[in-house]
Amino acid sequence: MENNFNEKESLKLIHEMIENSKAGFGKSSFFFLLWGWLVLFASLMHFALLFTEFKYPFLPWSITMILGGIVAGIKGSRMKKQRKVKTYLDTTVSYLWASFGITLFIILFSAGMGKISWKMSNILIIALYGFGTFASGGIIKFKPLIFGGIFTWIIAVASLFIPSEYTLLSIAFSVVVAYLIPGYMLKSKEKLNNHV
Amino acid sequence: MFKDLDPLLHSQLRLSVMSLLIGVESAEFSYLLKQTNASRGNLSVQLNKLKDAGYISIEKSFRNNYPLTTCKITSEGIKAFEKYVENLSEYINRRKD
Repeated sequence: MENNFNEKESLKLIHEMIENSKAGFGKSSFFFLLWGWLVLFASLMHFALLFTEFKYPFLPWSITMILGGIVAGIKGSRMKKQRKVKTYLDTTVSYLWASFGITLFIILFSAGMGKISWKMSNILIIALYGFGTFASGGIIKFKPLIFGGIFTWIIAVASLFIPSEYTLLSIAFSVVVAYLIPGYMLKSKEKLNNHV
Repeated sequence: MFKDLDPLLHSQLRLSVMSLLIGVESAEFSYLLKQTNASRGNLSVQLNKLKDAGYISIEKSFRNNYPLTTCKITSEGIKAFEKYVENLSEYINRRKD
């Protein structure tokens, strides 16, 4: 009985199943928003603390980055457990952000060792935000991320021409453009997509 | 009529499974169950047939003490699926002429 379906039904079935298994947007907006808000808070706090007597104005970074790492780690492993299907897109995106993390570490390490200035480190990090956002946007075909990435690269280049401490404001501006705005747009798109 | 078509793939449930697996890296049993609306027993039988033909690989493991079955399409499976689609479109084109 099962084999008695005609060629049109067969094609329709293939088409339907391929459509069903097409990767949705997932829930990556969570990470954009998490890191977006944390980096925004840390960069603005750091900038504000530069005008006080506080000895460790960079302290907000340590706190927010550790917090972000823990929250992202928990959420990531939970999502992995809930995931019933693994797409090639999932693998591509995870390799992309792993590369991002390693590059970020190398930049921070170089600045920490005094091999490059903190200004240069900030600018390279902004350029790296642009890279992650632009590439993610291209992979999941989401234009706000692509534009966010391009705009972030422009901020990185423009920051070459401003005083060092103001590059902290460039970082704040870049996460609004690269993470927060596209992140909220992605979130509303995910809601739509995951409910269909 | 369908003599060119691989009989192993020309079955609704097996074809559904192959069409789902062709686009992804791997899928769990529960995902295939949901997408195909099949019964557990039937899906299990058809998956084993595909596995015996070498079209898919099945990995059995545990997650939180529950058995977990993960399926992947093999390169042989991809070839067979492509051949099936090719034959199908040839057949449709022949009918149009």
